[in-house]
Amino acid sequence: MTAVALLPSILASLPEIIVVTGACILLIAGQFVPKGRDAVLVWSSVAIVLLAALGTFTLSGGAQPAYAGMFVADPFSVFFKSVFYLAIVLTFLLSRNYADIEGIGGSEYYVLLLLALSGMMIMASATDLLSIYVGLELMVLCTYVLTGFLRREQRSNEAALKYVILGAVSTGIFLYGVSLVYGLTGTTQLDRMAAAVTGDPLDPGLLLAVVFIVAGLVFKIGAVPFHMWVPDVYEGAPTTITAFMSVGPKAAGFAVILRVFLNPLVAGSNVWIILAVIAVVTMALGSFVALVQDNFKRLLAYSSIAHAGFAIFGIVAGGADGVASVMLYLLIYTFMNLGIFGAVIMMRNGNFSGEVIEDYAGFAKLHPGLALLMLLYLFSLAGIPPTAGFFAKFYVLVALVERGFVLLAVIAVLLSAVAAYFYIRIVMVMFMREPERVFEPALTPLVGAALAVTAAGTVGIGLFPAWFLKLAQQSAFGG
Amino acid sequence: MAFPLLSLIVFVPAAGAAVVMFLRSDDLVRWVALGFTVLDLTLAIAMLAGFDTGTSEMQFVEKRPWVPALGITFALGVDGISALFVFLTALLGWISVLASWIAIDRKVKQFMVSLLTMQALMLGVFSALDLFLFYVCWEAMLIPMYLIIGIWGGDGRVYAAFKFFLYTLAGSLLFLIGIIVLYFEGGRTFDILALMELDLPFEVQSWLFFAFLVAFAVKVPMVPLHTWLPDAHVQAPTAGSIILAGVLLKMGAYGFLRFSLPMLPEASVHYSTLMMALSALAIVYGGLLALAQDDLKKLVAYSSISHMGFVTLGIFALNPLGLQGSILQMFNHGVTTGALFLFVGLIYERTHTRSIADYGGLMKVAPVYTGFLALFVLSSMALPGTNAFVGELLVLSGGFAANLALGAVAVLGALLGAAYLLGMYRKVALGPASVGARFKVRDVNGREMVAILPLAVFVFWVGLYPKPFLAIIDSSVTHLLQQVYDKGNGP
Repeated sequence: MTAVALLPSILASLPEIIVVTGACILLIAGQFVPKGRDAVLVWSSVAIVLLAALGTFTLSGGAQPAYAGMFVADPFSVFFKSVFYLAIVLTFLLSRNYADIEGIGGSEYYVLLLLALSGMMIMASATDLLSIYVGLELMVLCTYVLTGFLRREQRSNEAALKYVILGAVSTGIFLYGVSLVYGLTGTTQLDRMAAAVTGDPLDPGLLLAVVFIVAGLVFKIGAVPFHMWVPDVYEGAPTTITAFMSVGPKAAGFAVILRVFLNPLVAGSNVWIILAVIAVVTMALGSFVALVQDNFKRLLAYSSIAHAGFAIFGIVAGGADGVASVMLYLLIYTFMNLGIFGAVIMMRNGNFSGEVIEDYAGFAKLHPGLALLMLLYLFSLAGIPPTAGFFAKFYVLVALVERGFVLLAVIAVLLSAVAAYFYIRIVMVMFMREPERVFEPALTPLVGAALAVTAAGTVGIGLFPAWFLKLAQQSAFGG
Repeated sequence: MAFPLLSLIVFVPAAGAAVVMFLRSDDLVRWVALGFTVLDLTLAIAMLAGFDTGTSEMQFVEKRPWVPALGITFALGVDGISALFVFLTALLGWISVLASWIAIDRKVKQFMVSLLTMQALMLGVFSALDLFLFYVCWEAMLIPMYLIIGIWGGDGRVYAAFKFFLYTLAGSLLFLIGIIVLYFEGGRTFDILALMELDLPFEVQSWLFFAFLVAFAVKVPMVPLHTWLPDAHVQAPTAGSIILAGVLLKMGAYGFLRFSLPMLPEASVHYSTLMMALSALAIVYGGLLALAQDDLKKLVAYSSISHMGFVTLGIFALNPLGLQGSILQMFNHGVTTGALFLFVGLIYERTHTRSIADYGGLMKVAPVYTGFLALFVLSSMALPGTNAFVGELLVLSGGFAANLALGAVAVLGALLGAAYLLGMYRKVALGPASVGARFKVRDVNGREMVAILPLAVFVFWVGLYPKPFLAIIDSSVTHLLQQVYDKGNGP
């Protein structure tokens, strides 16, 4: 391939190139930033992301396939990349002070986050099982390291080790599925796979391959039965990284799953039954186990499992509305989950960890404004209108009922009533107990800005969902 | 587009909540909240004044696109049924503010914000013409009400708030699925008026009927889904109880009138005997429980269950008398039970006990208080000349016409009402003045009088001259019955 033929491909993947190049420059230049000037790192990281975002939006419009069908820049990927940019910029804002407190504010921290971002972006754009694999590995390798970033804390190390081992196994399973697909169809490109199949789409070999791929991908979004790593990793990792992982890599995982699952080959093989079972079990497990958690981060881990379950219902529904509902769900989830994590991160100050739910007793009495914000995020996570969380769930339910899955919709709402209990319990602790301590939330301007953005998103999308809904619908493919 | 009166009525309390949030002094908060609620009442009166009683069409209709991609609109409008409840909500709004004037002494600002938000959402429920909007308001009410009970309630408030929240949430979720099913059955629309025109197969109607029933029966509440109510009432602050009994309970019954009957007519007719039986059960069971209570608030709470039984009985009698009676009775119950909770709150502020056994001879210490209490007690037991008499008479006539046996059971409930209410009054107000020795009970003051008097006016007005109220609901009831029978039992 000549350089001229390569040019359109380079243009299509320009945002990824910007992020990777920026990360490499920051890696070297970051060594020369004197201690105590970490703000420079935050701002240059944000600048790199904004530059990439600029590239994404100027180049958007229509689908631009690149690298011989391994990669595509289409509205679907633009939507997901916007979610990633949002998630990572908010993470940077939340990290500045937290990283100082935990002593992890080196340039590597930001570089690894940027590299993880590039992996996620590749996943969103990948149209070939191999390029999916490359993006996936790039992302998870960075998150392995970031999980273990609290070098002196045992539980951080333990979490990282668990994550690496389980993650490697699941990646292996995924690769095995890919090799089976290649053996059966002679290609790894998503849109050529279906055409290459001759005969029965329910061929046991293909089915096996699909099941392996499903298993590998479901691990990344933390759905049952591959959820075991989630609580430990979420609890052990630095809270900023947990916040990031709960929205960014998870959204990337969903992007891949949507692309793979709505592929005619997979869609034709009744795989939705597997998915429906996974969705129900995931939501049930997340909701019920969260009921008994005392640790805020563990509770949010199970809550994120439950939310993943709800979003999978959207994939089960399929079709244009199903895909759009998952996308909207992930966008809204990014706002509200980063909001509640932002609040937890803010509480980490001095020797107060902010990780035990009971420690929040009477928080509303001393800090009514901040407590109101947390109340907003919690009710949104519980799916109570008029918050955005309600609309996210509502649209998934609409997609389900549209396809005739009324029973699944009923199960989904009943389980979300269970989930409502533990969110409301936190509200109860904050609002209906007497304070036992003095709180010193580290409300720096950057954290404040992050909270303001997430609150605006949570309320704004809830009250005026029209524009965001249209965006998701227009970006959804397959309809 | 005409002057957006209904939007104004809905958004004035919301604006009040926003303004109150930025005030510092507690006194200012109280006065501003009062100002906004009085303004809201004025607007509601203006709405009633401009209301055309000659038509069953929706009036003051407003329609704006909200989420066009899903056919969701911001549509408001009132007919005879909802107009009465919009007025009732606005009437009880400022009374709730007055009732919390000194009873709420901490976090006054947050309380008033919750109260005003609550009022905006309740008005939204009654005037929504879009199912999605209706559901959003219906469900969003849980948040302020949860906080009102949970923060400013009595000793068992946390448990009561939880129970209230989870009961109503779990009840509403099936309703949500029902709404989405209706949305697709109706060709992707949430427009309530368009959905009323649907002619669904009986099987679909039955499923939807029961999905809706759970949501509405929890709110009303109908036995056996009533157990959250006594807890919530006993623990809630006075204003919370007034709103719960006065407005929130009406929403379940309003749901039957607005959705179940016109949209699912065949199922409504088919299951009407079952519904009437459940109502009669609630009347008698609620009455018996009330008879056994020592706690004043619990007694009024159980009496609410009994009275709401009359309302649902009248609705599912499915005849003009029953429907008119039940709608009027809902208004009456809002006025009378709202007043009774206000009275329990007033005496509790003074004595800090709600146990009937602690009282006696109150008449000698607080004659004005006991005098008005007598009025509302008599109204609650439907003495001729008071508001509830008209309502119960109509309901019972309708009930007897529809089902003789169940009508007879309901009359038994009316007798029970006389027993527990008079028994309570005798123990509290009459007899030797044991209370004077233990409590310094001050009689009703001016502020409290302002809250009581309008309610007393309505007791007599509806009792002696109910015609204007019946005129408001008349054409809508006729239209509703047409919808039920033309579709339901037509050829």
